[in-house]
Parts: sequence; C-alpha cells; structure tokens
Amino acid sequence: MLSLPYRRMARRTRNMTVLYGVGAAFSLACTTAQAIPVYARQTGSACADCHAGSYGPALTPYGMRFKLNGYTDTDGKGFKLPVAAQLIGTRNVPARGESSNRLTEADVYLAGRLTDQVGGYVKVSSNNDGHNRFDTKLSDVDLRFVAKELKLGGKDLTLGVSVNNNPGFQDPIAALPGASSLGPPGVTGTVLNPSSPNAPANRVIGATVYGLYDSRWYGEAGTYNSLQRSTQDRLGYNPNGDPGKLHDTGYVRFAYMRDLRRQFFSAGVVALSTKRELPRTGGPKDKLTDLGYDLTYQYLGNREHIVQLSYVNILEQRKYGSLPTPLAKPRGTVHDQVATAAYTFKQSYTLLVSHMVSTGSRDDGRFFPYGVPNTTANLISLYWAPFGKDDSYTAMANLKLAANWFRFTRFNGASDNIFGAPGTNARDFNAFSITASVAF
Amino acid sequence: MTASPAFAGDASAGSDVFKSECAECHSIKEGRNKKGPSLFGVVGRKAAAVPDYEYSDALRAQSAWVWTPEQLHSYLGQPAKRANPGTKMKYDGLNDPKQLDDLISYLGTLH
Repeated sequence: MLSLPYRRMARRTRNMTVLYGVGAAFSLACTTAQAIPVYARQTGSACADCHAGSYGPALTPYGMRFKLNGYTDTDGKGFKLPVAAQLIGTRNVPARGESSNRLTEADVYLAGRLTDQVGGYVKVSSNNDGHNRFDTKLSDVDLRFVAKELKLGGKDLTLGVSVNNNPGFQDPIAALPGASSLGPPGVTGTVLNPSSPNAPANRVIGATVYGLYDSRWYGEAGTYNSLQRSTQDRLGYNPNGDPGKLHDTGYVRFAYMRDLRRQFFSAGVVALSTKRELPRTGGPKDKLTDLGYDLTYQYLGNREHIVQLSYVNILEQRKYGSLPTPLAKPRGTVHDQVATAAYTFKQSYTLLVSHMVSTGSRDDGRFFPYGVPNTTANLISLYWAPFGKDDSYTAMANLKLAANWFRFTRFNGASDNIFGAPGTNARDFNAFSITASVAF
Repeated sequence: MTASPAFAGDASAGSDVFKSECAECHSIKEGRNKKGPSLFGVVGRKAAAVPDYEYSDALRAQSAWVWTPEQLHSYLGQPAKRANPGTKMKYDGLNDPKQLDDLISYLGTLH
C-alpha cells in the first residue's frame, strides 16, 4: 500500500487528470463531427440539406440517408477531391484559471465517395496543447461499403459494412454519445460515452454490418478490438487513457425511424458488451454490459423553424474482476442520460441546450470520497452559420461562430468540495467559450 | 374557359411544399444540379433536357414526355419508380391533392 504522501500525490495527479479530462470532453462536444464542404461539393447539395444548422453537426433525415448510403451519393459530375479542412479559434473563459485566445484546432478531413459502393469519413485533428504546439491525432474514422437499392419482399433494402473506431459514431440517427459527442463527463461513465475516462472512442477498431429495411427498420451488429497502447500513442493519444485490452466485444443496435418529410421520429435500442482488462497486466477482467435506448423527434416543416429533441439513456452493468480496496463491491451499475433540445432558425441560427447526468451505484471502495460518482452538467450553445445554404454565396466554404456555456452542478458525487477536502467545487469546471470555425 | 386544375393551386403554399418535399435533391437555381436536375423552368420542358445533368437511361427513353402540369401531376402523384421504372429519382410520391396542386403551381413560377 502507498504511504500517505504518495497517496496524496496520486490523488492530486488523479484530480488533475479529471480536470483535464473534463475540459477535453467539452472541447470534443464543441468541435467534432461538423459539416464538411467536401460532401457539398460531391453532391451539389447544401450543407443545410444534411444538417439542421448549416455547419452541423445535427443530421436531418436526408443527412442520415447520406450516411447510410456510405457517403457515396453524388451529383454525377465526375470525381471530386475528397479533402476538406477546418480551423477553429477559441476564446476560453474558465470559471477557475486563466482565460485564453488560441487557434485551438486545425483539422484535415479525407471524406467522401471513392466508388458507387465505397465511401468514408476520416478526420485528422491537430489540437493546440496550450503552448502553441499542436498534437496531431487520428480522430473519428468511418469507412463504408454499401449495397444500395436492393429489394426484399418488394421493399427497399440497404446493406452495408462500416469499419470505424468509435462505437456509436457510425449510427445514422446520431443521437448516441459516440455520434453527438454529448455525454456526461464524469469520474466514470459507460463504455458508449466518449466522455467517460478510458472510453474506447478513437482507441479501438471495429467492424459492423448494418441494414435498413423499408426506410424504417435499422439493424446493426459488430465487434471491436482495442488498439495496442503503442499504436494509440502513434495515433496521437496519451496511453494513460487506454481503454484496456477488450475481449469478446459485441455491439448491437436496432431502431425504428419514420421520415414524414415535415417531421421525423425514431426509437432505438443499443447494447455493447465487453470484457475489459485494465490495466493490461494479464490479470482479471471487468465484465461490462451497456444497455440503452434512445428517442428522437424532429420538426422540420419548411426548414424555416427546425426543432430537434433527443433523449438517450444507457445503463451499464459491471462485474468487476478485482477489488482494489476491501470496501469495493464486486458489482455495480453506471447510468448515463442525455436530453438535448435544439431550435434552428433559417438553417443559420441554433440554440442548443443539453442536460447530461451520470449516476452510479454506491461503492465506497471505488468512488472517493463520497462513494458515488454522480455528475450533472449542461451545455448551452448558440451558433450562427451564415453559409452552407441553397442560396448561399458559396458551397466551397462555411463559417460558424458559437458561444458555449458549460455548467456543472454536481461532480464526483457532490456540488462542493468534490474531492473531499475544501477547495474544489463542481462549478469550478464551468466555462464560457466563443469559437470561430472555418471549413473549406 | 376554365383554368387547368393543375394550376388551381396556391404557389405560395407550394413553395413550402417544395422546401419539404423536393429541395434536398433539386435546386430552383438555373444551372445548379444536385442529386436531381435543376427545376428552373421545368414546367413545359422536355424530359431529360437539362444539358449538363446525367439522367437515367429510363428517363432518357421517355423522349415524348414534356413536363406539362398534367404530366407532373401524374408523375409526382405516385412513387417515381412506378411512374418511370429504372429512374434514379427516389421519391414515394405526394398523395395530398392540394399539396400537389400547390407544388405544381409553384413550379410553374420558376422562370
């Protein structure tokens, strides 16, 4: 057992890691999976055809079909260079700590159609480490092979394969945390939540087979393997966030969706089961099973006023392979919930409010000092994206200005003194930021 | 003389129908093709006549078709695959008669 000074040092290091992780998680929520002009160039469509706000990320039903068709739809005018780029500058004002103005991210996208049946999305992201040094990493990947316009029983059928590195990112409805990047950033969380510590997002590789029947019934099944720590390092990820060695991992998704042109709704279930060896010492494994459901509704009307609502509820059942302390329990549950509402006016102005809650069963041996990991957070964002619409000056580039407010009311099981000793409160994680994003 | 039933619709309301039913795949700008060809000047145009759009063989084969209001009424009132088997167009059809009239009236204004 560690002596007291070392335990304090270890705890302080863990707390700093948590602080860093919270910031990184919200940064992810602000910048990931945006509309990229390469798809507009490829299809002749406006960004706003696929996204409610013309810079994304929320998908319209048309955008979901584009994704399901393997990013291969085209205007038929020959080969388009499948490359786009994005720059993001941020004015960040945290509740605690120094404010900053930085070029925070520079991204390259390799995305679009290779053949009528093969297409993809690959994001290479370069993030400012705070000292104007940029760490480059391989972000989300979704490569697809798709067989379109099949018939089964007289109904339309689409079948495809997705090779991706983030369970849930490939989902067409895009409400799951892997796709929306909206997940509660706590001291623990479900495997399907990319904001969870040691989440598999971007540190695994997997393949899923999917099908859409009668434009309504969606099914998907697949498996994932975690990348070696050295590979994660080479791809730009700190090995400390290793999701561990994953065994017998299965991913299953079913959803029913209806596109009524002026409205859209969906109801789905998702499951992910894995045995996790963390750390990778050949020791015991944790058995983790995520079971979730999601509900979404969109009012699209004539696209002047768009309302999008979603609710995601994921319960993770854990059977731990080891007991780190005598007080630790052999089993537990973690429960992530996200409710999001967004209103978009004229496909340019968006107000998004997201309420994120993570709770867990009591375990005094794992969640110090209060025995519960509960976190409650909100993201409130206001966007303006003037281009990317049918009547826009250009489809070659797009711009988004956003004001974001991250707010915590509970973290690590408490509102105040969240690490036990006086000094750090949940609201210390609050932050306001203004971002300017340019894509071309 | 009575007006053609297809032009009895409300073009203003048809603009909204266009935005929800057609705009993802068709532009109203002259010369701008998306997944489908530009619908600028579609009423009265011969089928498969936009010069820089790659039509399906199935529509090219309908050389006698002209997009009159009556032809549009028939074409858009049923699934596109039934109206023109082999077409690239993916549309289930508009089965609300008023919306269909409104839409065709709106298309008639695109000149």
